[in-house]
Amino acid sequence: MKNKSERKIWYKLDLSAIVYPTLQRRDFSSVYRLSVVLKEAVDPKVLQQAADLALKRFPTYIASIRKGLFWRYLEPNERPGPFVQPDIKNPCMPMNFKSNNRYLLRIYYYGNRISLEAHHCLGDGTGGMYVLQTLTAVYLRLTGHPVSNGGFVLDIDEKPSEEELEDAYMRYANAKVCPKRPAEKTYRVRGTREPFYTLNIIDGIMPVRQVREVAGKYGATITEYLNAALLSALLEKQEKDWHIRLRPVRIAMPVNLRRFFPSETLRNFITMIYPSIDPRLGNWSFEEIIRHVHNYMNYYINEKFLRGDITTNASTQRNPFIRVVPLFIKDFVVRQFYTRVQDRNSSAGLTNMGAVKVPEDMKPFIERFDIYMGQPFSSRTNCAIISFGDILTVNFASSIVEADVERYFFRRLVKDGIHVRIESNRDLEQEQF
Amino acid sequence: MSYCVNCGVELDVSLETCPLCNTPVINPNEIPYTRSTVPFPKEKGQVEVVKRKDLGILLTIVLVTTAVTCGLLNVLVFNGNLWSVLVAGVCMILWVLCIPFVIYPALNVYAALLFDGLSVGLYLHMITFLTESEGWYWGLALPITVLVTVLIELFALGIRKIPRSFLTTTLFVFIGTAVLCVGIELLIHRYQGNGLRLSWSAVVLTVCVIIIILLATLLSRRRLRDAVRRRLHF
Repeated sequence: MKNKSERKIWYKLDLSAIVYPTLQRRDFSSVYRLSVVLKEAVDPKVLQQAADLALKRFPTYIASIRKGLFWRYLEPNERPGPFVQPDIKNPCMPMNFKSNNRYLLRIYYYGNRISLEAHHCLGDGTGGMYVLQTLTAVYLRLTGHPVSNGGFVLDIDEKPSEEELEDAYMRYANAKVCPKRPAEKTYRVRGTREPFYTLNIIDGIMPVRQVREVAGKYGATITEYLNAALLSALLEKQEKDWHIRLRPVRIAMPVNLRRFFPSETLRNFITMIYPSIDPRLGNWSFEEIIRHVHNYMNYYINEKFLRGDITTNASTQRNPFIRVVPLFIKDFVVRQFYTRVQDRNSSAGLTNMGAVKVPEDMKPFIERFDIYMGQPFSSRTNCAIISFGDILTVNFASSIVEADVERYFFRRLVKDGIHVRIESNRDLEQEQF
Repeated sequence: MSYCVNCGVELDVSLETCPLCNTPVINPNEIPYTRSTVPFPKEKGQVEVVKRKDLGILLTIVLVTTAVTCGLLNVLVFNGNLWSVLVAGVCMILWVLCIPFVIYPALNVYAALLFDGLSVGLYLHMITFLTESEGWYWGLALPITVLVTVLIELFALGIRKIPRSFLTTTLFVFIGTAVLCVGIELLIHRYQGNGLRLSWSAVVLTVCVIIIILLATLLSRRRLRDAVRRRLHF
């Protein structure tokens, strides 16, 4: 029998997590996926044991979401699960809060791959990576491979620290001014919607060394180069498609705030930046796009601007008049704002998890990592990048039939001399381009 | 190992066409694909169904209690006529309507619609206990209920089986409206003994036929359809 103080534990949603459940639809949930491809086939029974042992270390990831009068909150979930299951063709399926024993986490296995899907209200990609790597380490230990703790692998016998569970936004949202958010209608990819339950995936696998060399030739980092390639692909798509007028092309790119504001939080701690190109100003060469993205990133990605950005986001939640508004009205207003302003503010999403670090003794068992931003809210494509060792993976996920953006993107990379290998879950015999 | 001749990317051995441009892989030297696992599984997942058993039990109890207590009230207190039959009928319709949502979510949509039609037909039959004759029921109410049920079933079939879009849904709505209006008028005339002739429904039919032909033309011409979609998107 648990004592009274233990039963009372619950967690407020962090600043980003407040928005994601509001956008929930029958055919959409903010779910992302992280996968690790091992060098040997995954044993589901051992994986289940590993999940049972490892997930206890992450109380905010085995929680269920509940509605209060004014806000939603996370509550510990003691129902059986989460259970590992065979992987499916259409990852990042909508996640109903009341199904799956109220868990907001799914674990899949397929061949050599372990995949973790989590609702974004639990945490961001970095938090998810801690869960996935700890789970993988426990799995490897159970299969007889000694793997040490460190980096993203947490000690499962340790109690989670206060900092891991904190809403780090509130600690750093202390700028004395709230800079305005960009709010301009941008180009939106138009395409034929796929039926419900379809998520088209195209993975591009390439050597990190080659991408770094090519990016270096343009005087840019890998992120800047791939960002510019996506902007260029979107510009080409807009140019070639039927249009009345041209609109700016803008990418929504999450920035991991832990790099600038020390925090060990496993929950959301990201903010968005929006590199963009305005084709109404004239024709942009690829070199010009890269230079522009490089300058934009250098200018905006620093502690001062990011602090201003989080302060703007936090100001809404701190406003006492907004706090006392009932949840259903907040839901309505946030959904309207997101659909009419925020979603139209960017043409595509791009996230770069960067080079994933794993403990030295775990490296020999891992081939690569994959990351999927999940189903886009509107008809567009989301791009996620991750690298491990010399393998860089660019994962596109979209709910539309057309793969024009992906085609222009990868053709750009091939044109620059990068060797790209493509994997996909598309059933092309049934589709028409 | 095959490369797309259009895109220049290397394609995974499991791919028969390039996922970027749909160009088929034709490589006579390719060794037949034998790897045991392809990069992605073939099975599609389904969103987990939310169990609403408690709500179903609660709803059933409330409706049954309402029907029974009204029945007792009818027998013991207000026993002028069989008014409680109407209340029981409404409870029955509400219960049947709720079956796919709270009681048995896995119920086939066509079966659910058929049960809805049957419950409405049964309710109308219950009303005959309060009226002097049953002629209106057999001559008018039941045929109209059957007609509406069949049209709704066909509408559901159409929007589920044929790729759904704003244009196809509108087409189905106009076809359904035309058939319903003509059907209702014919049944009314038949019930009144005036023979099978059309008057007001002919006007509806004419308007609907014009719109149906327009929509069918738009749907059959891809260029036209795309132009309309572009101009009318919202």
